[in-house]
Amino acid sequence: MTLTSPNPNLAEPAIPGWQRTLRKLLQPVILLGPSGLWLLLLLVFPTLLILELSLIPGARLGNPPGPYGIGNYIEIFKPVYLQVIWRSLYFALGTTLFCLLLGFPVAYWIALKAPSRWRNLLLVGFILPLWTSSLLRAYAWITILRPSGLLNSLLGFFGLPGQEWLNRTPAVFIGMTYSYLPYMVLILYASLEKLDRRLLEAASDLGATQQQSFWRVTVPQTMPGIAAGGLLVLIATLGDFAVPELLGGASSMTVSRLIYNQFLGATRNWGLGSSISMILILGVSISIALLLKYGDRDAI
Amino acid sequence: MPPVRNSNFNSLPPHSRRRFLQVAAAATSGVMLSNCARALLNNASGGTTVQSDGRAGSGNQTLRIYTWANYTDDELLSNFKDRTGIQVIADTYDSNETMLAKVQAGGGKDYSIIYPSDYMVDQMSGQGLLSLLDRSKLDGINQLMDKWQNPAYDKNNAHSIPAVWGTTGLIFNPDVIQAEVKGWDYIWDNTEDLTRQITMISDVREVLGATLQYLGYSINSTDPAQIKEAYEKLLEIKPAIASFVTNGWEDQLAGGDLMISMAYSQDAISLIAEKPELQYIVPESGSSLWTDTMVIPKTAPNSEAAYAWLNFMLEPENAARLVERLKISTPNAAAFDKLPPKLQQNENLFPSKAVLAKCEGIVPVKEEISNLYDQFWTRLTSS
Amino acid sequence: MNSAPAKPKLPFSWQGMLTALMYAFMYVPILVLGFYSFNDSRFSSTWGGFSLRWYDSLFNDGRILSALGDSLKVALIAVGLSAILGTMMAVGLAKYSFPGKGLYLGISYLPLIVPDIAVAVATLVFLASVSVPLSLWTIIAAHIVFCLAYIAVVVSTRLAGLNPSLEEAALDLGANPFQAFMKVLLPELTPAILSGCLLAFVLSMDDLLISSFTAGGGANTLPMEIFSRVRTGVKPDINALSVLLILFSGALAFLSEYIRFKSAQRQLGQ
Repeated sequence: MTLTSPNPNLAEPAIPGWQRTLRKLLQPVILLGPSGLWLLLLLVFPTLLILELSLIPGARLGNPPGPYGIGNYIEIFKPVYLQVIWRSLYFALGTTLFCLLLGFPVAYWIALKAPSRWRNLLLVGFILPLWTSSLLRAYAWITILRPSGLLNSLLGFFGLPGQEWLNRTPAVFIGMTYSYLPYMVLILYASLEKLDRRLLEAASDLGATQQQSFWRVTVPQTMPGIAAGGLLVLIATLGDFAVPELLGGASSMTVSRLIYNQFLGATRNWGLGSSISMILILGVSISIALLLKYGDRDAI
Repeated sequence: MPPVRNSNFNSLPPHSRRRFLQVAAAATSGVMLSNCARALLNNASGGTTVQSDGRAGSGNQTLRIYTWANYTDDELLSNFKDRTGIQVIADTYDSNETMLAKVQAGGGKDYSIIYPSDYMVDQMSGQGLLSLLDRSKLDGINQLMDKWQNPAYDKNNAHSIPAVWGTTGLIFNPDVIQAEVKGWDYIWDNTEDLTRQITMISDVREVLGATLQYLGYSINSTDPAQIKEAYEKLLEIKPAIASFVTNGWEDQLAGGDLMISMAYSQDAISLIAEKPELQYIVPESGSSLWTDTMVIPKTAPNSEAAYAWLNFMLEPENAARLVERLKISTPNAAAFDKLPPKLQQNENLFPSKAVLAKCEGIVPVKEEISNLYDQFWTRLTSS
Repeated sequence: MNSAPAKPKLPFSWQGMLTALMYAFMYVPILVLGFYSFNDSRFSSTWGGFSLRWYDSLFNDGRILSALGDSLKVALIAVGLSAILGTMMAVGLAKYSFPGKGLYLGISYLPLIVPDIAVAVATLVFLASVSVPLSLWTIIAAHIVFCLAYIAVVVSTRLAGLNPSLEEAALDLGANPFQAFMKVLLPELTPAILSGCLLAFVLSMDDLLISSFTAGGGANTLPMEIFSRVRTGVKPDINALSVLLILFSGALAFLSEYIRFKSAQRQLGQ
């Protein structure tokens, strides 16, 4: 492995040349080696296994494997599966948008407006509800959103007509936003917290309005955080099937539920499950790459 | 600013970013790296061999079982230990399929007793995962109720001992619904009044099976035309279906937001114990009859202790106490005789012979048919 | 972009109001759970009177408590190790460029992308094929994979905008790279490491699929226990447990912040 030092003219203390070379070689190995090895063993090998399974049409445990082929991938293009993929994307993109819109002001307020000694506590306080099992949280939302539930009682109290929330799309968005908002806030906070305030001051000194300095200084500076948070929520919502199933009603099949059904349902078609997984992995990878490119341009 | 020091996921040199996309490409070329998947599929296809009992010496005093959460309790385990001196460690699973995948992939080698459901016994024994039970080591197997002497899922109980059984039916509040519900026709007759007010179990075979029975076919139909007909029949009541959930409907039903829920009898019984006004029925057209059993996998490290466990569970006294504590239906006739009359007469726990006669166990179907069921299910839950 | 006229300053900004509203949003379901944990009836639709029976049944339930113990063990060990590995990885990726870096980077994202069920099944198959006996430690090993990745992502976002000149200055002044890292970089990264750990901890505590496929030898995590209880209906004793967990961890967070605040004050006073 050849290494290029990031900063060749860095003045290092006088130590023998070979030692310096060794150190340069060793440092990345020490930093990246252990996690790399771990990921290789428990992630790369398993993922390659999924890839291989996806290339065996109709692969099932307990069946002698057939020849390799791309039958599983062709299967995905059936309209019924495409519809499921489309619905998952809709749920995931919508939830990501809601989380960004609601999470940014919260992270912004905690990072920049709240008294500094309360910040950690406020942040932890926002995450704390996640300490409960996701299943229980979904059950709690059922209690709130059902026709005679808390939300409609509250609306009734203000003289407003009750709505049907549960077992429809609104419930999915409420439940998923609830589940992933804390993650978004955590990540946005990490990048807002290190915001260079002098830039904001400079902007306001130069006569920028709050809005202008927000859009020209704060947002570009926190773009990595926005990208990372958005990505994380997008991926996590794509992988969630408990919330859509419990809150979303009779027509709430999602990609991850479909994959789950292929692995553990009645058909146990591991080949098809693997190929949908691979498509999901590929799709998300491409969107990450695009997002990184986009985030990059903005960060400069 | 030195460019690389400042880099991270978001500001890589462009060529490395592009390399990210090559992950998949690189992985593709690595396919031939291992033939792991093929080995796995082959391995699980009945090729499992009996492990030599290497741990016999140290393993005699512990028995590992793999079971549903609510089928054992501390009292049972400590009674068993008092009697036999064997310490039981119980791992739990939440679905048959999780258990099967784990066992097939080789993660179940520690277990000497597993609790698969009926159709799963059929599947597992078909794949050669279960050991034949040695009748000479078992006491009291002839005390089972008639229906379980020779069950369809396992001829003559060759591999399995039934432990718990139940039905699938409808639960509702008669005061709210104000009509006599006897079966599925109520839902088809009143679809418009029930908009989003019923739930069905989140299981393809149960839901399509119930519809097949309603249409007068077998719950295990393998005729594509019949399955399609059932799917189309189900579409008629789709507006009435709030969701497909196995659990999570309890509160809404008790609160009147749901009219009818399709449920396993066990769930219904524990609910009715706290909400006596609710009523559970087995539909007139019949229902599925499910049995959870105890089996000894071929890889069992401690089969002596496993037999001790089976015999302990077959003892009428122990089985009867378990029914009282856990409110489960036992297939053990001798245990049934030892129950207090109140439990014996509980129609939900022990339905009458006439009701049972209409019930059918779900058995696995061929791969193509199973795929067909699954495709209709995906369509049903995504249309 | 229109320049808004300067408004009279409100005592609370709209961000503050929205934040308060969002806190309410986060806690309403928790309050609902908490409220019904005192309900004598099992159902949230009926109020059966105030009762502590679910707390009683919780403390007499060995299975839940041991499952909680296992979950905490898994989460604490996995997150602790991942914090070290993940930070090292993020720093290494930010500092060095080498052939195959893009691949490494891509792989480090994989745990976030691959569907849980696929990871769970494949990891199980892998563990079985190298005949590692399943135990609590295999759960931990599998959890480290995703904890590591999440912590690395969060730390990387922080590294992105960090001023490298401080560390360079430390190196210039004769500190060795390890000292420079510990004294300069690490304090800067701490908030990100902590939020990454929080994230990973929460994910680990709530993971069902990966745990249930890699568990063995009597190991049973809380989500596994809760989900396997679903068959007989989840009873409010689990609500009671959640309420206690939140109160306990909230109190712990408050206490540690309080101690930190006091010691900071003392330092200032001297």
